[in-house]
Amino acid sequence: MNDFAITTLLVVSLFVILGSGVWIGLTLSGVAWIGMQLFSSRPAGDAMAVTIWGSASSWTLTALPLFIWMGEILFRTRLSQDMFRGLSPWMQRLPGRLLHTNVVGCAIFAAVSGSSAATCATIGKMSLPELARRGYPDMMSLGSLAGAGTLGLLIPPSIIMIVYGVSADVSISQLFIGGVIPGILLALVFMLYIAGWSILHSDQIPPADAPMSFAEKLRESKSLIPVVLLIVAVLGSIYSGLATATEAAGVGVLGSLIISAAQGSMNWATFKESLMGGTRLYCMIAVILAGAAFLTLSMGYIGLPRHLAEWIATLGLSKFGLILALTAFYVVLGCFLDGISMVVLTMGVIMPTVQKAGIDPLWFGIFIVIVVEMAQVTPPVGFNLFVLQGMTKREIGTIARAAFPFFLLMVVMVVVLYLFPQIVTFLPEQMRR
Amino acid sequence: MSVAALSRARPTALGRSLDALYDASAALAAVAMVLLLVMVMLSVVSRLAGFNVPGTDAYAGYMMAAAGFLAMAHTLKKGEHIRVTLVLSALHGKARHGLEIWALFVAALLALLFAGYSCKLAWQSYAFHDISTSNDATPLWLPQIAMAFGAVVFAIAFIDELVLELRGERVVPVSDEATRNE
Repeated sequence: MNDFAITTLLVVSLFVILGSGVWIGLTLSGVAWIGMQLFSSRPAGDAMAVTIWGSASSWTLTALPLFIWMGEILFRTRLSQDMFRGLSPWMQRLPGRLLHTNVVGCAIFAAVSGSSAATCATIGKMSLPELARRGYPDMMSLGSLAGAGTLGLLIPPSIIMIVYGVSADVSISQLFIGGVIPGILLALVFMLYIAGWSILHSDQIPPADAPMSFAEKLRESKSLIPVVLLIVAVLGSIYSGLATATEAAGVGVLGSLIISAAQGSMNWATFKESLMGGTRLYCMIAVILAGAAFLTLSMGYIGLPRHLAEWIATLGLSKFGLILALTAFYVVLGCFLDGISMVVLTMGVIMPTVQKAGIDPLWFGIFIVIVVEMAQVTPPVGFNLFVLQGMTKREIGTIARAAFPFFLLMVVMVVVLYLFPQIVTFLPEQMRR
Repeated sequence: MSVAALSRARPTALGRSLDALYDASAALAAVAMVLLLVMVMLSVVSRLAGFNVPGTDAYAGYMMAAAGFLAMAHTLKKGEHIRVTLVLSALHGKARHGLEIWALFVAALLALLFAGYSCKLAWQSYAFHDISTSNDATPLWLPQIAMAFGAVVFAIAFIDELVLELRGERVVPVSDEATRNE
């Protein structure tokens, strides 16, 4: 059988099995098993067990369960109330007023959470009802929350960055630090858009709350200090090289346990809930990662990634053309798959092409994260949309429309990153010294 | 059947003991998660204090693997393993029941395949005295038992789900946790 037929057979069986509702991780290992059994001489079953064991027990991945657990602990604290109370006094004077609490709140929570949907849920729990009560336009509060929630992926720690780092063999610490400036920049772009929109539609923005003195504002924000300290401890220790990503995650788990205990939200029930919730979430991702590790091995045996890289090279695409094509590809794929599955499924196949085109894997990681962010807010499969649908009971189409301007801003961000790759690489290069 | 029915114990003794098996395995996974944290913190503290505990990195990896594999069945029962539900949610009645049976059947087969080879791997590591190549020098069959056991329980859980679906008794829990997955 020639390469084309093999590829078609595998891709078709992948989509048929996935589409029929078989669990994603199992599907990946199943397709890998078929490929290896049919097209290579290595015993597929033994290779499967060894590969899955190797990937599931690899030390580089240990940051993942810990960061997930940390997010689960913080999700069950009073953080979402504190965030709104602490931030809103400072936003009253900006055009768009409290709409900015969504963006700034998400950006801050993103720096302790690795997940976009969790960021969206934590910040929205408090800000959505408060904004609605004051009469802010629905479309803007929903859209800014859906958009800014995706900062959870870009601002470290980030689950998807760990997944990418492990699949593409890029340093997780460098990816984390590389996401800081693009993350802050994207948050500023969102805020600029909100401010511009609000100036044009000033009639729709409700009046400011009663003014507070500077001392009062500070008092309201006092409750944010522990979170800021936690951010400094986690990111600071990675950036300074004092700790690896895993060690920083361990410190993060302990820190959030302490914050939660100091707030009085910690008891045996919430501890157990956060531990079990974190374990299940990690397990779900681990099964996908295990399947993907085996699929990557199997594809490698068949030689698919090499052939794809060679084929794409013959097309003579420019670097920009390639990035454009990949963006379109991932946005379409994101309509059916979640971000993690998307990354693990494609990395083994696409990395050789990317490297052959001379694209920096670190830069590519940040690019992938932003593209996955776009996928988070596009229907029918977009996790931020699901979260907001669950919280507001609004139609998914309405929420997607509200988020659409923010989707376009992310497209702009991709172009900016392409033109100025230093935005990504500057901080990690400082680290290397 | 409503979601509330989930928390009720199952009618048969077999059903109840299966649930107990999933829960026990999940409890072990949670313990592994805590031990993972302990291992990581031990390596931080030991480096800061200047003493050396050999192999903490490798142990952390084993604990992570145990946490993941042992929680598989429990996570499935909670409805938190993800799948593409685009087609499933568009179907109703008989067609949906049929597709669920197909999906569960394929999944059960794949889980059995994985369970079989995981047991074989642990057995071979034991028979050939396979030792970890990093500085912990652990006999590899020990941590691999967690993978083998977790995979077997996972396969049992899928067969359990398949039988329940065939009898029309399967309840798919709606979990809001699943929406927080990335």
